[in-house]
Amino acid sequence: MSHPATTISSVKLAWALSWAAFWTGFPFKMIVALLLLAAQIHPWEGAGLIALLALSVPIDIWALGLTARTFFLERMGIEVRGPVGIGLWWQGAVLGVATLGVAYYAVGATAAVCQKATAATLELVNKIIPIPVAEQITIELLMWAVPTTIVAIIFLLIGLKLFGWRIKRFAVASGQTSSAGLQERVREWDDWRVPADPILMLVSFTAVVVLLTVAFWVLLPVTTTHRHPDYPPPPTDAVKKKVKPEELLKKTDASLAKAEAVLEMLEKEKAKEKKKPVGPGK
Amino acid sequence: MASVQPKIKSKVRCVDGEIGEIVHVIADPISLEVSHIVVRANGTQRQVPVATIAAVRDDSVELLCNAAQVSGFPEHRPEDFLTSKQVEIPHLENKVHVEPGDLLVPFPVLEKSCARRNFFAGFIHVIGALIGLPLVWPVLRFIMAPMYAPYDNRWLKIGNVSKIKTEDVGVQFIFKKSFKDSVLQREEDKNHWVVKATPETLKKVYPQGDISFTDEKGDVIWVNKQTVPYVAFAGKCPHLGCGFKWRTHKKLGQVFLCPCHLSIYDNSGKVLDGPAPRPLDVLPIKVSATGEIEIIDVEYKSGKKELVRIA
Amino acid sequence: MMPLLQKVYDFVDERIDLKTLEAKMMKEPIKGGSRWAYVFGSVLLFIFIMQAVTGVLLMFYYIPSADHAYASTQFIIHEVDYGWFILSYHFWGSSAMVVMVFAHMSQVFLWGAYKSPREMIWLVGLALFGIVMAFGFTGYLLPWDQRAYWATTVGVEIMDKTPIVGDFMARFLKGGPTPGQMTLSRFFVIHVMVLPGALMGLAGLHLFLFRSAGPAGPFRGTPEELKAKTDFFFPRQVWKDIVAMAAVFLTISSLALIEPVVLLEEAKPDPGDYHPEPEWYFLFLFQLLRWKIFSGELGQFLGATAIPAAFMLLLAALPFIDRGPERNIFKRPIALLSWTVVMIGILVLTVSAIINREFLD
Repeated sequence: MSHPATTISSVKLAWALSWAAFWTGFPFKMIVALLLLAAQIHPWEGAGLIALLALSVPIDIWALGLTARTFFLERMGIEVRGPVGIGLWWQGAVLGVATLGVAYYAVGATAAVCQKATAATLELVNKIIPIPVAEQITIELLMWAVPTTIVAIIFLLIGLKLFGWRIKRFAVASGQTSSAGLQERVREWDDWRVPADPILMLVSFTAVVVLLTVAFWVLLPVTTTHRHPDYPPPPTDAVKKKVKPEELLKKTDASLAKAEAVLEMLEKEKAKEKKKPVGPGK
Repeated sequence: MASVQPKIKSKVRCVDGEIGEIVHVIADPISLEVSHIVVRANGTQRQVPVATIAAVRDDSVELLCNAAQVSGFPEHRPEDFLTSKQVEIPHLENKVHVEPGDLLVPFPVLEKSCARRNFFAGFIHVIGALIGLPLVWPVLRFIMAPMYAPYDNRWLKIGNVSKIKTEDVGVQFIFKKSFKDSVLQREEDKNHWVVKATPETLKKVYPQGDISFTDEKGDVIWVNKQTVPYVAFAGKCPHLGCGFKWRTHKKLGQVFLCPCHLSIYDNSGKVLDGPAPRPLDVLPIKVSATGEIEIIDVEYKSGKKELVRIA
Repeated sequence: MMPLLQKVYDFVDERIDLKTLEAKMMKEPIKGGSRWAYVFGSVLLFIFIMQAVTGVLLMFYYIPSADHAYASTQFIIHEVDYGWFILSYHFWGSSAMVVMVFAHMSQVFLWGAYKSPREMIWLVGLALFGIVMAFGFTGYLLPWDQRAYWATTVGVEIMDKTPIVGDFMARFLKGGPTPGQMTLSRFFVIHVMVLPGALMGLAGLHLFLFRSAGPAGPFRGTPEELKAKTDFFFPRQVWKDIVAMAAVFLTISSLALIEPVVLLEEAKPDPGDYHPEPEWYFLFLFQLLRWKIFSGELGQFLGATAIPAAFMLLLAALPFIDRGPERNIFKRPIALLSWTVVMIGILVLTVSAIINREFLD
């Protein structure tokens, strides 16, 4: 009987594991990315990128381990003991770096060549039948993007094929065929998703969530960091004159004295006016 | 064998005679058809596969096997099943005509462990918190942004003392107040009352002597001197914020009277009658050499005995 | 505390049979087990709720008047604490909604879940798709900056070219012959009252129909496999749903931080340096209109109205045309090919529209 690992396609196997592991790790990485962003650090460059990549490594190892062990047990009936995640991750990382490195240049070169060829072809075509701009953009895009995408897909397939081959080797070398039925195997991997001490796990997870939330509150800028150029800048707190009660009282006295003097004058005028007939007034 | 409809309490007959009755019907949750009947025979309940049924009659079911073979079928374990009342399987009850309480479906193996169910249920709340909690503070601050606006300590010209003809009489000063109201630059007609007080009235206005006014930090921004005869009362009734008027009362004579709840104040702002908890609010006032009256439009919370500045 | 809660629970249970209700809501066996592929509907509901929450918050400060819409939006961005974040979340939430609608529709299409007996769910879903797009279109005008004003102007002009009803529809939306205060009022009311009401009603119907017909389940797998993996909607599927919601929440928040909303100048009838462009999810249609075959009144009608309308009609007719019971997408080559072509078409046109920007400066 052939080993269950040999019947599955390497590409499918590698794709299934990578896809599932990527999404398993994604929410955790997003938490890190969001906190970095809230702290005004770009997670795609410099220290932010390094921090994100460094934190991604343990997340990926854990995610890959979990998804791989599940896949092995459920689909292939293989039980692997020991550290699955790290055993697969370093191989995936090495292969990924190598394939991505080569693919980067190959895809880049293909795109460059195709773009040049496309431009030349279109220039020639334009001399015969002029193509309107909008149509030309789409035709040009298709002409260089299609071969470039094909090259990219080929490299993706090569990468997956190689990774799948390594995964199979790993599964055969360190796994044992499980004799349990499907139901039992499903129940078993489902069990892995629940920690030995659920309460402890939930409490510590809650504590982490609260901690991260507080960090988010502290980091998130209250006012926008992207002010509109025409919008008046925020008012700088004008230095307030401190009012001294004694001075104030003196001033009040002075102004009051003046007011009283004025008032007296007014009253006198009024007295004079009283002799005249009184008009309607308030 | 499509849509076999065995009934509860039907007698079950084997090829070699009656053995018991149907107590439950088990349905397949995927095909929505009867998969087993549960037969009570000799005090034990056994799961008989539907393939064993030869015929279903009105009040009985005939089996293809004999009594000995029935005893060989597995015993029914209630903990492995749920009634169709306890789960939601669309159309099941339309397809299998058995009372929901007697219709059983297999308990999904993955859902049997209570500990696991509880863990996932707990986790749902933790993740819920991960979404909800980060928003609490920003949303609160967002809503609160304009709620505690700083005090407006500008001096506003409200009119000239020449308008006041008689001492100890309330004179209304209506003035335009322009201010920034969120994005709008608005202008409003406001009104306050000024009394030119006689020394006796002044004593009632300032029973504790000079009154000082403070900003949010508690720093003094102005002091109303008790000797200044001009007293400005905020046009807002300290009871519940209505606009009061200067009226002649049948018994009390000339008073400030609030039409809303009939709070009555004398010309020093003292409460004479009605529900008002405190005298009329005195505003910071200054009178210029030309008799122009300027006030700070201080506003206090109504309905309180003590003065709580809000604007 | 617990006995009190228990008492309250018992009180309610006695009156409305809470236990059965709970069982019917939560304990729905999912054949083949809960899956990450099933999260899109729940995620859409979550995004909508968040749009409603952030939308209501924005209405605390927004003034739907042509004189103040721009100023009040700027006020939200610059003056209100975290206003920039709430507004940017709402902005990116709308994009997330459109992306998730495409994901949800694709999943249903690829899984063959629109087939009998789930045709009605699909039809209501298409109406919901229209509502989501209308949300995007009406919301875009509200900040009343150049981008908003011109996207709306062009959008309404396109609608105007529809034969017979076009003029009426355009005038109905504009509230007159030209865009102005009446346009803003109408878009505002449609955005904050009409569409949320319609969406809530139809989403409720969508869910009710879904629960009545039951989930379609995976498109392959032996009965033994399906049974082995069966679990309940709660907690397994709910937990997957909520993790996906958290991922979407984190993504939208991150986008709000990476690219917060920055308004252009206040709307005015001269676009100035600004090249009018609709929101990105309408770009493919916009780009289509730049093609020569879609020029002229008839061409424009074809490109912007007739073809999209025909496409929607085709989608509506889909469960009635495609009646084969086969749900496995790998055994439905025409379906797979059509989906791929449509997706690539939208992608290529959208990228073309972005490249097209270079030719404008």
